[in-house]
Amino acid sequence: MAYEALDFYDIDSLLTEEERMVRDMVRDWVEERILPNIEDACRDGVFPDEWRAEIGEMGILGAPLKGYGCPGLSYIAYGLICQELERGDSGVRSFASVQGSLAMYPIWDFGSEEQKEKYLPGMAKGDLVGCFGLTEPDYGSNPGDMITRAEDKGDHFLLNGAKMWITNGTIADLAVVWAKLEGEIRGFIVEKGDEGFSAPEMKGKHSLKASVTSELVFQDCKIPKDRMLPDVKGLKGPFSCLNNARYGISWGAVGAAQSCFNSAREYALSRIQFGHPIASFQLVQNKLSWMLREITKGQLLAYHIGKKKDDGSWIPEQISLAKMNNVDMALEIARMSRDIHGANGILDEYPVMRHMANLESVKTYEGTHDIHNLILGRHITGIQSFTREP
Amino acid sequence: MGIAVLLKQVPDTTAKIGISGGRVDESSITKWSISPYDEYALENAVKLKESGYGDVVAITCGPARAAKCLTEAAAVGADRLIHILTESSLDSIQVQSLLSAAVKEAECDVVMCGKQAADTNSGSTGPGLASSLGFSCVGGVTGVSMDGGVASATRLGPSGLEEVEVGVPCVFTFDKGDSELRRPNVRGIMMAKKKPIDSLTPDDLGVDESNSRVSITSHSSPPEKQPGQKFVGSESVPEVVNKLREEANVI
Repeated sequence: MAYEALDFYDIDSLLTEEERMVRDMVRDWVEERILPNIEDACRDGVFPDEWRAEIGEMGILGAPLKGYGCPGLSYIAYGLICQELERGDSGVRSFASVQGSLAMYPIWDFGSEEQKEKYLPGMAKGDLVGCFGLTEPDYGSNPGDMITRAEDKGDHFLLNGAKMWITNGTIADLAVVWAKLEGEIRGFIVEKGDEGFSAPEMKGKHSLKASVTSELVFQDCKIPKDRMLPDVKGLKGPFSCLNNARYGISWGAVGAAQSCFNSAREYALSRIQFGHPIASFQLVQNKLSWMLREITKGQLLAYHIGKKKDDGSWIPEQISLAKMNNVDMALEIARMSRDIHGANGILDEYPVMRHMANLESVKTYEGTHDIHNLILGRHITGIQSFTREP
Repeated sequence: MGIAVLLKQVPDTTAKIGISGGRVDESSITKWSISPYDEYALENAVKLKESGYGDVVAITCGPARAAKCLTEAAAVGADRLIHILTESSLDSIQVQSLLSAAVKEAECDVVMCGKQAADTNSGSTGPGLASSLGFSCVGGVTGVSMDGGVASATRLGPSGLEEVEVGVPCVFTFDKGDSELRRPNVRGIMMAKKKPIDSLTPDDLGVDESNSRVSITSHSSPPEKQPGQKFVGSESVPEVVNKLREEANVI
């Protein structure tokens, strides 16, 4: 049966024809290429290289960026792309988020003309893969205290330190790495093969299994002087990237939730207990209507913040709310959907347990759920509560 | 000369079809798509264009919603889009008259379409169009190449692949072959959105749509499939044999 994405408030009618076509293109691709193969990819712990190539061919990477071979779509279209990819799997959406929002975006916004021309066209086509190095083994929610250092050696920079939990790291051709130069955070482009740079893959994940997660290690890593992003200093750099990625996640989570809702609805209609489909029982209907309610609210949040991204009137706290709320509701829906599936819910015949495990990561990365609460807390009270220091 | 590709918008083959008051209830259909065999025609039309033979003119006949399949065609390489706008339910002859008028208007000497539509399955459009235009017609092909004014088409014959040579003008109707259908991409979609659609009415084409000789009296759902029966163990063999003989009449 054709996939009918839950759209109770008819968000579809608010989209432009172009946005709908892009959404349908990605939806068809996910249906044809991801859904039949995702369980194998997860079991093998790989992100198949043909997915990279095909995502590149569709031309959706760096969706809202303009110029330098980038698509120049609306933020709504970017959101829809994330929604459809994550309906397939959060790992696939992560690949696109990291490439577009975390690697292409900083080069596009803060890079020199030469850097933009050198990297962006190839990245938009998926020929060059990028990753983003901010988090360190000891500095996650608190990136400002990062240890990774850059030293100006006259004709080159020398990088030392390590990054962790880096999506796409091992398969990346280039890494946008944030490091302190004379105490100030700056962005550097490190290329695969640079002396003193390695990106070993992290193994043993129970979540995002079809996504590559790596460490980035810099041991006297020598990079040319023209690899520093000239136009940004401080945490503003990485945080600007995160705002875009978090925005995409708010849509992506809706896609994962839609997938879990669909599976729960179909299962409840076909599963017979006590002589009737379990969908006819009030407890199950209560769960399904709660899912519909939460997804509908999440869609409206994502759509509205998307419109604000498009007209430039957004503030970062609004993105925090959308990311936090939508991932939270998606994770709850995945758990509830697993519950409706009974024992069958743990099988890979259904997508729910995979989404559930993925969403645990999504809840944690790009600002943990709690950190987003603190961002909102600071917004409400004017008092920051991240640190004990004044 | 150009290549006309005829596209029919049909309920997606995976869509649920609802019937209400003895009629297909169009509002119950959540997804409309280009009829699958027409997609093979489109793919081959774009391939023929890439080999250097003229522009692709995509033509559809149907209500306003059908314009979507023209934009989709433009996203994968159609150059000109013609929408014959009609809300009426037309019979085969009327459809053929409208399409042949549009093909003439677009000055195409190669016409490609699916061998049959996924909704009506009548298979009459290609041959009927060829007859009304006075073109040759080769049915059920899976690929077409062109050398000078001679087309060479491949189709599945009873004993393997058959190569057919035919002069233009000609109509080719397509079967599902092994050509891989190209996916649209963002660049194609953005260009498609800018492409104008020439909207023509039956009046513009000089066809009287009130004069149908066929009327559909009702639609109904196929009978519901009976659930299967399951037999386990060797002791059920006599019962199965009996059922196959008495109920299924197959032995």
